[in-house]
Amino acid sequence: MTEITLLTRDGVRLNVPCAPGQTVLAAAAAENLHLPAMCGSGNCGQCHAHVSAGGYEMGAYSPVVLPDAAQGGVLLCRCMPHDDLVVELPYDDASISRRAIPEREAVIESITQAGAGAVMLALQLRPDETLGSGADFIPGQYMEFTVPGTEIKRAYSLTNLPNWDGRLEFLMRLVPGGAFSTYLGTQAALGDVLHLRGPMGHFKLDEASPRPRVLVGGGCGAAPLVSLLRHMAEYQEWQPVYLVFGANREEEMLPQALLDELRAGLPQLRIIQAVWHPSQGWGGFSGTSAEALDALLAEGMESPDVYLCGPPKMLNAVRAVAVARGVPAEQIFAEQLAG
Amino acid sequence: MFCFQCEQTARTDTGAGCATAKGVCGKDETTSDLQDLLIYQLKGIGQYAHLLHQQGRPDAAADSFILYALFTTLTNVNFNRARFQEMIAEAARLRDRLQEAVGTRLAGPAAFQPANDLTGLLAQASIASVRAGLDAAGADVIGLRALVLYGLKGVAAYAHHAEVLGQTREAVGAGIAQALSFLASEPVDVEDILEEALALGRLNFTVMETLDAANTGTYGTPAPTNVRITPAAGKAVLVSGHDLRDLEAVLEATKDMGINVYTHGELLPAHSYPKLHAYPHLAGNYGGAWQNQQQEFAAFPGPVVMTSNCLIEPLPAYRNRIFTMGPVGWPGIKHLGHGDLAIVAQAAKALPGFAETAPEKTITIGFGRDAVLGAAETVIGAVKSGAIKHFFLIGGCDGAAPGRNYYTEFADAVPEDAMVLTLGCGKYRFNTHDFGTIGGLPRLLDLGQCNDTYSALVIAQALAGAFGCGVNELPLSLVVSWFEQKAAAVFLTLLALGVRNVRLGPTLPGFLTPALVNVLVNRFGVLPVTEAKADIAAAMGRAA
Repeated sequence: MTEITLLTRDGVRLNVPCAPGQTVLAAAAAENLHLPAMCGSGNCGQCHAHVSAGGYEMGAYSPVVLPDAAQGGVLLCRCMPHDDLVVELPYDDASISRRAIPEREAVIESITQAGAGAVMLALQLRPDETLGSGADFIPGQYMEFTVPGTEIKRAYSLTNLPNWDGRLEFLMRLVPGGAFSTYLGTQAALGDVLHLRGPMGHFKLDEASPRPRVLVGGGCGAAPLVSLLRHMAEYQEWQPVYLVFGANREEEMLPQALLDELRAGLPQLRIIQAVWHPSQGWGGFSGTSAEALDALLAEGMESPDVYLCGPPKMLNAVRAVAVARGVPAEQIFAEQLAG
Repeated sequence: MFCFQCEQTARTDTGAGCATAKGVCGKDETTSDLQDLLIYQLKGIGQYAHLLHQQGRPDAAADSFILYALFTTLTNVNFNRARFQEMIAEAARLRDRLQEAVGTRLAGPAAFQPANDLTGLLAQASIASVRAGLDAAGADVIGLRALVLYGLKGVAAYAHHAEVLGQTREAVGAGIAQALSFLASEPVDVEDILEEALALGRLNFTVMETLDAANTGTYGTPAPTNVRITPAAGKAVLVSGHDLRDLEAVLEATKDMGINVYTHGELLPAHSYPKLHAYPHLAGNYGGAWQNQQQEFAAFPGPVVMTSNCLIEPLPAYRNRIFTMGPVGWPGIKHLGHGDLAIVAQAAKALPGFAETAPEKTITIGFGRDAVLGAAETVIGAVKSGAIKHFFLIGGCDGAAPGRNYYTEFADAVPEDAMVLTLGCGKYRFNTHDFGTIGGLPRLLDLGQCNDTYSALVIAQALAGAFGCGVNELPLSLVVSWFEQKAAAVFLTLLALGVRNVRLGPTLPGFLTPALVNVLVNRFGVLPVTEAKADIAAAMGRAA
């Protein structure tokens, strides 16, 4: 490990640890210091800076954007320290972006039944002086709730889309004896104020990918997938898309109204409901979501992007199926929820 | 994937060009290949459109599609692969319609049938590569064809801006169709291609003249105007890009709501147009040139609207509050038409805006040809008396490369007895510095956007007339910074009009071979920039 000292033009000193082989830009980002940069490949010159002490190695770059290499000029996206470095930045501290995870208050607007053992919780964010009154998140992300009256934290994925009204929606599976589930079942009332932290999470759509999308979820795992599907509907994305939803019993299926809404927004959407312990009248797929995915991939399709969400055991089973059916690792996106 | 159209194209010892999964600009290889295919189709459409123009029955819808589609392939405009798939399908339908109108089936790009799916399209892409035919034709021919294509993109972009303001010219549609048809013929004669490039430069003069008429006809004659460059308290919207019509639409959608609209980048000149300046909520300019947008948009406390061009990857910090208009696009970013702008007002109200009014700082802009020629007597008098010894036009595109501080150094080192004219976002390298006055006039004159090179040329021609000499005999030096294809079009105009000793930087285009650079230097007098003080001395004919 080496230590990088960043000196801004207006005299602020920032210390950043740097692992072997890590670039200054990446090391700073890991400390939530996002330095001006653009191409990330040593070709545009936006991350230009000057090393005044310490040795380093430079990865490949375009010489025309580093005219002062011999005088210690560097491109931070390419600069890997050997020793402790002192780096002079050609801009003020204000140009460095630091992303803090917002802490917000939100008021309960409604709690609605959403299939057996699940509720749809709708919240209204209280306006924030710095952030405003909109609900800003990327579909697939989650919020961390503090269970009222405790220090216990529980994470729930957002089901709706970012909006300017400040509305947050969560599809929550009620876990008997669970901390937040108990609060919801016994205490929660409309108008209650909840403390949230977020949005957080890296489970997001690869927007640029043209591949078919297969979304697999079970139980509360459906929540972020609903947000992804609503996003696709809003942008009228037309690549093939499949939702494989697994539940123990038919009663735990997603509400029909929600399924109808999703189909209406995405005409090409195919929904496969997999019930593990179906009743006699069940006409859909009988089995786990992993088995349903296996059957779907066996039909043959262009190599898809697969988005998985659920508890660890389900996730592992589904991922194993995807891998066995030849889906490359970089096309598998997974969000693990509490078991 | 291969692209070498912009100034920041990847450069190694072996050559210039982006050939990896993602270009330096952020364009991915799929999008790049689809853009190549669309351009190939446009050549084919051009073949038919050229005939229709020659037969006196041009197809207005085809001419319009050509402009818009070419615009989407400029650097930093459209990164959305899905959009290009749609346009490729539309281009095929358009070609079919034109082929029916012409009545004969043409060969070459005109006969191209795009595949039905993405895999098929990507398999076809090599036919459309900018380097297709390199082995047979050689690098010089490929480079010259690229110069014509990239200049043509800039011409089309300017013509599109004029078209959205209701100004089209048959000669422009005809010229663009002819250029596309020329490229479709895969020309191999260097002198022929050079002549085509110069013809495009002359065409671009007409296009810039048309755009000037469109802008002034719609928004009035630009006048010297003071613009706030620090924010005022209140809700805020930021509008960037080039398009005055889209800015007007945003102003209409946000008026009388207590929302302030700020310009960014190349929309700074909007403030000088009386009908736009008349909007009381057009409050000022925020930030600088396009390459700083990630920091500037992240820090801006309201929604951002990117019109026409100069978008780079939106950061998560503002992904949900940036909107695109016109040819611009990024996957997952909301695209708006003129009827969709209520969401911009809604976003502005939901976002915090500026909490405080910052201390007021202003700059003066709006010295178009009317303002300058209106003061012609004063200017000519100052030159005759020796108060003004030289004029430097320092302008063009800005960018990120460290070498661009050449333009800051140049502008700051220009002697007190020389005047500085500027245009384009290159101005941000020095436009907040204090240049003082000269001969009773401001010593820094901001002429407007990059297309206002038209104004600069009209001024130069008028001064040449007044002094009874050619433009090249005036005490005038052009110091140009380029980045993308609008600049390429302007550059061709300068060459076509015989303007010599144009200093070009910060680097020379990666698509120009050493032989082509020699032609530009030896035949046209183009000078690569070197060091600011030396170049100033050389320009003024004094010892360094």
